[in-house]
Amino acid sequence: MAALNEKKTCSQRMENFKRFVWNPDTGQLMGRTLINWVWISLYYVAFYIVMTGLFSLAIYSLMRTLNPYTPDYQDRLKSPGVTLRPDVYGEGGLEIYYNASDKNSWEKYVTTLHKFLSAYNTTAQHANINCTSEKYFFQKSFLGPNKTKYSCKFTSDMLENCSGLANSTFGFPEGQPCLIIKMNRIINFLPGNGTAPRVSCTAQHDDFSPLELQYYPVNGTFNLHYFPYYGKKAQPTYSNPLVAVKFLNITRNAEVTVVCRVIGTGITSDNPHDPYEGKVEFKMRIQD
Amino acid sequence: MESLSPMFGPDLNFPRGLTSARAAEILARDGPNALTPPKSTPEIIKFLKQMVGGFSILLWVGALLCWIAFGIQVAQGVASAFDNLYLGVVLALVVILTGIFAYYQEAKSTNIMASFSKMIPQQALVIRDGEKREVSAEQLVVGDMVEIKGGDRIPADIRLIFAQGCKVDNSSLTGESEPQSRSCDFTHENPLETKNIAFYSTTCLEGTATGMVINTGDQTIIGRIASLASGVGNEKTPIAIEIEHFVHIVAGVAVSIGVLFFIIAVSMKYKVLDSIIFLIGIIVANVPEGLLATVTVSLSLTAKRMAKKNCLVKNLEAVETLGSTSIICSDKTGTLTQNRMTVAHLWFDDQIYSADTSEEQTTQSFDQSSQSWAALSKVVTLCNRAEFKPGQENVPIMKRVVVGDASETALLKFAEVILGDVMGIRKRNRKLAEIPFNSTNKFQLSIHETEDPNDKRFLMVMKGAPERILERCSTIMINGEEQPLDRERAEAFQTAYMELGGLGERVLGFCHLYLPEDEFPDTYPFDTDSMNFPTSNLCFVGLLSMIDPPRSTVPDAVSKCRSAGIKVIMVTGDHPITAKAIAKSVGIISANSETVEDIAKRLNVPVEQVNKEDARAAVINGMELKDMTTEQLDEILINHSEIVFARTSPQQKLIIVEGCQRQDAVVAVTGDGVNDSPALKKADIGIAMGIAGSDAAKNAADMILLDDNFASIVTGVEEGRLIFDNLKKTIAYTLTKNIAELCPFLIYIIASVPLPIGTITILFIDLGTDIIPSVALAYEKAESDIMNRRPRHKKKDRLVNEQLAVYSYLQIGIIQSIGAFLAYFTVYAEQGWLPNTLLGLRVNWEDDYYNDIEDSYGQEWTRYQRTYLQWTGYTAFFVSITIQQVADLIIRKTRRNSIFQQGLLRNKVIWVGIVSQIAIALILSYGLGSVTALNFTPLRVQYWFVAMPYAILIWVYDEIRKLFIRQYPGSWWDKNMYY
Repeated sequence: MAALNEKKTCSQRMENFKRFVWNPDTGQLMGRTLINWVWISLYYVAFYIVMTGLFSLAIYSLMRTLNPYTPDYQDRLKSPGVTLRPDVYGEGGLEIYYNASDKNSWEKYVTTLHKFLSAYNTTAQHANINCTSEKYFFQKSFLGPNKTKYSCKFTSDMLENCSGLANSTFGFPEGQPCLIIKMNRIINFLPGNGTAPRVSCTAQHDDFSPLELQYYPVNGTFNLHYFPYYGKKAQPTYSNPLVAVKFLNITRNAEVTVVCRVIGTGITSDNPHDPYEGKVEFKMRIQD
Repeated sequence: MESLSPMFGPDLNFPRGLTSARAAEILARDGPNALTPPKSTPEIIKFLKQMVGGFSILLWVGALLCWIAFGIQVAQGVASAFDNLYLGVVLALVVILTGIFAYYQEAKSTNIMASFSKMIPQQALVIRDGEKREVSAEQLVVGDMVEIKGGDRIPADIRLIFAQGCKVDNSSLTGESEPQSRSCDFTHENPLETKNIAFYSTTCLEGTATGMVINTGDQTIIGRIASLASGVGNEKTPIAIEIEHFVHIVAGVAVSIGVLFFIIAVSMKYKVLDSIIFLIGIIVANVPEGLLATVTVSLSLTAKRMAKKNCLVKNLEAVETLGSTSIICSDKTGTLTQNRMTVAHLWFDDQIYSADTSEEQTTQSFDQSSQSWAALSKVVTLCNRAEFKPGQENVPIMKRVVVGDASETALLKFAEVILGDVMGIRKRNRKLAEIPFNSTNKFQLSIHETEDPNDKRFLMVMKGAPERILERCSTIMINGEEQPLDRERAEAFQTAYMELGGLGERVLGFCHLYLPEDEFPDTYPFDTDSMNFPTSNLCFVGLLSMIDPPRSTVPDAVSKCRSAGIKVIMVTGDHPITAKAIAKSVGIISANSETVEDIAKRLNVPVEQVNKEDARAAVINGMELKDMTTEQLDEILINHSEIVFARTSPQQKLIIVEGCQRQDAVVAVTGDGVNDSPALKKADIGIAMGIAGSDAAKNAADMILLDDNFASIVTGVEEGRLIFDNLKKTIAYTLTKNIAELCPFLIYIIASVPLPIGTITILFIDLGTDIIPSVALAYEKAESDIMNRRPRHKKKDRLVNEQLAVYSYLQIGIIQSIGAFLAYFTVYAEQGWLPNTLLGLRVNWEDDYYNDIEDSYGQEWTRYQRTYLQWTGYTAFFVSITIQQVADLIIRKTRRNSIFQQGLLRNKVIWVGIVSQIAIALILSYGLGSVTALNFTPLRVQYWFVAMPYAILIWVYDEIRKLFIRQYPGSWWDKNMYY
């Protein structure tokens, strides 16, 4: 076959490269004359300006089609996620590991809880109204201030013993810690189909004595009047209702895996891929 | 002789040959009598080469980085670590599978050849232990006595010790087509010239001989030429260089962008591990994984198409080489000509008539009413020893097999076409005596009874070299009348003879004599030895001239080559006059061009005074070539556009090819003999003849012309050019979406948005939706007459040039990215994540422990919900690229013409490609959307249409580009936008 011997020495290559960068014979800089570079740059500048314009126009019209209150689709939000406070993660996920007698070991949990509940103190909830109805709080029109919808008050004192008001250490030093369960907000989501959804926690392996728990508010329910959620724009001061769980008889010096489910129609907790859908799982170990 | 005597025993005439034991000894020493096949690379090396060639290295690096990332992540206990393991495995699989595919393709094309080179094992009749036996030719050893007879292939180089009427065909060795007689006489110092040596692989045409083996295997003359051929280096094909160039560009872009963004990522305080993962993404996005396989498929499709047109391609890449050919060095005999003598002209009644020389002649149209023709035809018919082999009544006359030499065959067929039933005529005019042609008489003569029962005279007919025949004549037949052969008539004869001879034709003269009845009665005993009959004062009847005529398709093919900017050079071993005549008749030397000699003759000045630049044509004799310096040869090759090399030797053929290659030309060489194999090997593309070609020539060649027809080369050139154009289109098509695959990573790194498209998804584009469409472009018809432009310059006209890369990457690719990003933002926005929320979201988004991130509407999302949305984004991005690739595919159908000029429906395969593309996307989204490992989700229907306006924009923009290119050729636009 062909004798296309393209082998060049290194110096030849360097020479070629130099000629490419600046060719004195033709006045070409990197293969083009200066004026040519100007033209091509101008063309590309113009091209990209037009393209950016087209893209901005498209994004602008996209934004125009969107409803500012509710998203068009909630394909991925069929069932709410559930989270735990304090949310401290270790190697195996959520972990509440502490030594009851060592303040340093549980202080971070207490601080987290206080911080979290600060959004639920009376001043923070000041803008929200008191709701007493046990039904869904439907609002067709924007009756609230500044064309908004009302949000129901949820204050930390509703968590009674776990409010951090009476017992500012949430029972951690006593070995009976309070943990808070929160359900994710989904716009127009009506949990429970008329019955208030409630939290139920169980130990995953019942090797130990069954868990003795105290839920706050009573029965560990999320009151229906917090639903439906109308979105950030309609309810700027909305805060999620909470359920606190006080663990009364955690076996000391042993790891207990606890699963807290929110039980109610429309809330699924059996998605194999999503460990946080409708439930939250965590590990506890309290040492003496 | 003395040293050989033990083998002959007491009686020299009864050779005993070697003993079996001695033969076995020598065999063990010298090895078998066979040519060592050219060294072939071990299969495993070939396979490994495929594994590391092209982009493979880059992908291996990607896979390796994946595994390193996996290792580190496992050690850190990251949940998603296994994604990297899988990605690494997938990348490795991609490399291995494409490697296996390429290997398989290569092996397949090699196998076509293997079948060619397999021959039936040859047998030789050898005398050993004093008895004759058949052994395989491979078992022959030096010193063996072998017997050969007509029709045998000579099994080794043999020195003859006994020969009877032995003639050999040395054409495969020397290119001379005349049979050569062989005898026991030592006639020349040079083994190639002496008459007592017969060479390996030549054929014995007639007679018998016995000889002793003097060389076997690689030591034979043929073996030495073959090893000369294999000594000529096997360089890369032009297309291989182009693909390498393209790989360099793409790999360069991939590596530099990868490294650049690695540095950016690290300086943006990304973790090194994350940066490595970005690097992998950038590499995968940049490398068109499926492209090299596509190129192979396109080439083999073209190879198949060419095989249908009688061009068998041995080396896939040679398909394109033919397209870039700028000089064809063509053999004459058999390639340009029909390789059989045919009557071309007649001279009788003082007039020259032309005969039809086409391949399929059934009638002859010249004036046959004259009585002279009747007489001439009788002489032609009767004074001829050639005969048709029996049992061919249904075969067309031109195809019948004849026993006899070339000229006699030509005359026999000529007579059969005009008169019909020549054998019947001969039977009716019984032959009484005959003197066959010999080189001293230079005539052939026979005496016949006439078929007219009333005419008791005998007819003596004679043919031979015209001047010799004329010497014996005293009268000449004009219009059926015998007239005295005066000075004037003799001059007319001379003129005609010179004219026909000047056409390069072999001229024969014919004469007859009716023997007077009284002197030669019925019973007269004709004796050919004593010649008891008159052989002078005969009546001259006419001349016939013969030539090996050009194939009828060749002139057209040559003119096509010329308009395609391809120089056709004739290189032949034949006589310059014949060579020039054929060159003129096929158009290698065009009608109005002259050689230096022609000009000198016309102006009546010495050759030295002619300005060489005035002569377009040149006929160079081998003898002149021998004394030329390289510079002189270069000068000839540059200055003359129409060149014929005559009387050239194999070495000179090689010199000519090298000379052409010095002009930066891509040279195609045709040849059939063993002697051609070094030149075939040296050429950029060697073309061997399938019918007449020897195995050595076929082995050395890259392509085989199954019908030995020069015109097939032209169709090959056309296909080669088409595939080059179409590969350009394929590459442009494939490169475009690389930007749309790359931009997501860049935006992801810089703007920290959720990843728009995953690496696995990219692989599904590169190796899924894009494959069939890019192959479909190989079926695209030519845009204009590709045979009307010059061949590409192998150093300037690159497959992937700057314009192609820039237009694909920075224009269409950018539009595609914008379209795909619009789909991405649309999906996120409609699901609750507005574009402004997405910016800078990456760290939280990818945090496994953050399960209540708020979207733009205040809703909270778990990690998995986000991931699933991310996959929906991948799918939307993927679908958008696919939709825009449909537009890309359509615009790539043409580079200059409007799509409407080219026709949307002419290439049906494109539509197969489009349908396959969309079908694969549908299956991935809706069929496999539930398989989480693949990261696809069932997509809402409207998201398929988001990028549609951009697809249309691509089409419109490209139409405008082409419009300007057509409108303003040579303009700034043309220079920068035409690829």
